[in-house]
Amino acid sequence: MAHDTDVPDPAAFAAEVRAFLDAHARPAADRAGFVWGEGDDRVAYFSSDPPEVEQAATQAARDWQRTRYENGFGWITGPKEYGGRGLTPVHDMVYDAVEAEYDVPDTGVLAVVGLGMIGPTILAHARQHIKDHWLPAMYRGDAIACQLFSEPDAGSDLASVQTRAVRDGDTWVLNGQKVWTSVAHHSRIGVALTRTNPDAPKHKGITAFLVDMTTPGVEVRPLRQMTGGADFNEVFLTDVRVPDDHRLGEVDGGWTVALTTLMNERATVGNEGAGPVAAALSPERLAALLRATWTLDDHAVRARLADLLADIKATEALNARAMRSLRAGHSPGPEMSVSKLMYGQNLTRAAHFVTDVLGPSAVADTGQWGTYAWSELLLATPALRILGGTEEIMKNILAERVLGLPKEPGIDTKSPFRELRGVRTKEGSA
Amino acid sequence: MTVVGTSHEELEELRAAVRSFLEAKSSEEAVRKAAETELRYDPQVWAQMAEQLRLPGLIVPEEYGGDGFGQVALGVVLEEAGRALLCSPLFATVVLAAQALLASGDHEACARHLPGIAAGRTTAALAVAEDSGAWDPVQIRTRAVRAQEDGSNGWELTGSKSFVVDGASAELLLVIARTTAGPSLFAVDGKAPGVTAEAMETLDATRAMARLRLDAAPATLVGTDGAGGRLMARVLDSAVVGLAAEQVGGAGRCLDASAEYARTRTQFGRAIGTFQAVKHKCADMLVQVELARAVAREAARIADEGGEPGEFAATAAAAHVYCSRAFMSAAMENIQVHGGIGFTWEHPAHLYFRRAKSSQLMFGGPSAQHERFLERLGI
Ligand SMILES: Cc1cc2nc3c(=O)[nH]c(=O)nc-3n(C[C@H](O)[C@H](O)[C@H](O)COP(=O)(O)OP(=O)(O)OC[C@H]3O[C@@H](n4cnc5c(N)ncnc54)[C@H](O)[C@@H]3O)c2cc1C
Repeated sequence: MAHDTDVPDPAAFAAEVRAFLDAHARPAADRAGFVWGEGDDRVAYFSSDPPEVEQAATQAARDWQRTRYENGFGWITGPKEYGGRGLTPVHDMVYDAVEAEYDVPDTGVLAVVGLGMIGPTILAHARQHIKDHWLPAMYRGDAIACQLFSEPDAGSDLASVQTRAVRDGDTWVLNGQKVWTSVAHHSRIGVALTRTNPDAPKHKGITAFLVDMTTPGVEVRPLRQMTGGADFNEVFLTDVRVPDDHRLGEVDGGWTVALTTLMNERATVGNEGAGPVAAALSPERLAALLRATWTLDDHAVRARLADLLADIKATEALNARAMRSLRAGHSPGPEMSVSKLMYGQNLTRAAHFVTDVLGPSAVADTGQWGTYAWSELLLATPALRILGGTEEIMKNILAERVLGLPKEPGIDTKSPFRELRGVRTKEGSA
Repeated sequence: MTVVGTSHEELEELRAAVRSFLEAKSSEEAVRKAAETELRYDPQVWAQMAEQLRLPGLIVPEEYGGDGFGQVALGVVLEEAGRALLCSPLFATVVLAAQALLASGDHEACARHLPGIAAGRTTAALAVAEDSGAWDPVQIRTRAVRAQEDGSNGWELTGSKSFVVDGASAELLLVIARTTAGPSLFAVDGKAPGVTAEAMETLDATRAMARLRLDAAPATLVGTDGAGGRLMARVLDSAVVGLAAEQVGGAGRCLDASAEYARTRTQFGRAIGTFQAVKHKCADMLVQVELARAVAREAARIADEGGEPGEFAATAAAAHVYCSRAFMSAAMENIQVHGGIGFTWEHPAHLYFRRAKSSQLMFGGPSAQHERFLERLGI
């Protein structure tokens, strides 16, 4: 790598990124110069904006992604033949670190699911012409992608998907229902897990497809979540015809495809360090809030604050070390899973701590800057313990894969899926 | 002074050497035996630690006869020492006393005392806290007055010190006492007239502590008169990073023991590790151990490589708060996972429980450490 002239060293790359950002964006307001009471006070994980505002934000995200792409920063780790830059995860991190200093649109709507999880899945498992067409479209910001995995009866137990795919010559016919599908209402494509062989054990009869969301029979219905907004959806698939060349991986080999997505999911969720939510966790900001509400001298409040900040500092140290070890060429250890757990837990603890301290002004809006605003984050935190693998599932994984504890008995991986599911599947579940 | 860039491989080599030494010399049986002796460590093992592994001189600069490594390397050793609950003068002599000498900037005192420490000939203790146990310059009441008014460097100390780690056995005592200029550091011979040291009964028998009474004990000023407050802060920063490494080692051992037991102990016809109540307890321990390790090593790294202004102090304090909590929690849950057997005198779990609690309460305890951490963040 050292002699590859195409690979700039991180310092040179950072300079290149800075030049790009100087030309296309404005520096973010200085964090050290953060002034209580000035600027936007929102601390939100989900949007709860009216549809027009959300549409505009999505458009701004796409535009920014296109600008990045056209300047060689749209897919830093992607292969060059699909519009990527062919660089390393370290360059990606360098980019993120530098971009965090600028005021740019939040691209989460494209990035968290589509670019972070679905892109790598397509890259690993799709046919050539699918990659040629959809990968550049995704990383250019044109095609937002969603993950059509969860179903009403397949959440933690994802291998229980029942959406059926039946072959009809060169196409497949999909019938079933997906749920909790983030950003489906903005999406042009989705990756769906379907059951193709109910007579095989449950992990062995699944096939994955790339579904064009404009195909007749795909119906997206927004679900309102407890924050009031609607970031996820139900997706109904009724006689949706998908060409066989849109299949990802082998027939009945979809579980392997799912694992690629899930692996990237954990990394993506654990990595969501930047953005307004992270800024909310900064010691400066928390201290300013306590000062403004005259609670900074309370001994009990200080003790809780110190404990919270110690958790945050320790998590930052873990992330920093993971990054350094990645940079040194070591493969990631259990840090990513720990990081994902802590991301949710730290935000949850912070939101409860702050709202406990605020008391009445987190219950009803007094109009004071930066107080009631926290209720929005508070209401988002339950989701962080569920999405991308619940805390319970993550702990099972850590205990079994890292500590080598024995698996739970009674999890049937051998019987045909049809027998596990009984009548519903026999009837085709459509 | 620091050997920057000690490679990952070198550190792992050091870890392996220390671990195999401690497996041989600091078995559970050896720990229990040492903890019952008056000295609370085995002098032969200490001598071997010096001769074979050169541990006492690890962070002592080469000009004073040591090997000049930094906090990262010391952290590796302390993680292993904490894992094995090693009873030794390492913490008192190297983590506290040697770092105090270095922090004083007094070349003459360093040249006088550090070569003996590095060679393992001299054991040393640092006496700071008094009856409250606090590491707070305001609470220092031990007084130092000049022995003669002729300008020579002789002083006399009067007062008492408590919680002095290895204070009863140390040959060299470094004592914080108050002069008219403020708290200052003094060197006192452990056997000097006017010094009485009495062992305190301790929650954690693997770490000896003493009460010192000083009655016009002859002393030499170390460093600048009145600079003791700043020195205490500096020493505390590096001491808590050392302690954090020890805590990581102890917590990691508790985790390993719990996981091993959960894999093998059966109840209701299955390994207890198949029950999620147990499985998740172990996963929670793992998360805390990983985070403790990360923040402790990060603090040591910043000590060696530098960082932004204030970053080391804040990270060191964070490591202390986090690792104290994580080790205590791991030690408690370890007993829980082991059930009744974990509550017996014969099982090692209580040794870790005692070490965890006593470490958590060192240097003033959680509320003092919370405040120190917040102060470092400017809050
Ligand atoms: C905001 C949000 C966005 C999402 N986005 C998407 C998306 O874009 N695409 C997508 O496909 N899915 C998405 N999901 C779905 C998410 O992956 C599932 O909600 C999650 O996997 C849990 O499944 P479930 O909701 O069916 O709960 P269940 O699996 O029914 O679990 C219910 C409870 O039982 C516990 N439980 C279940 N099994 C076990 C076990 N073996 N051991 C211990 N406890 C267990 C769970 O931890 C949980 O507490 C999203 C979810 C949320 C909240």
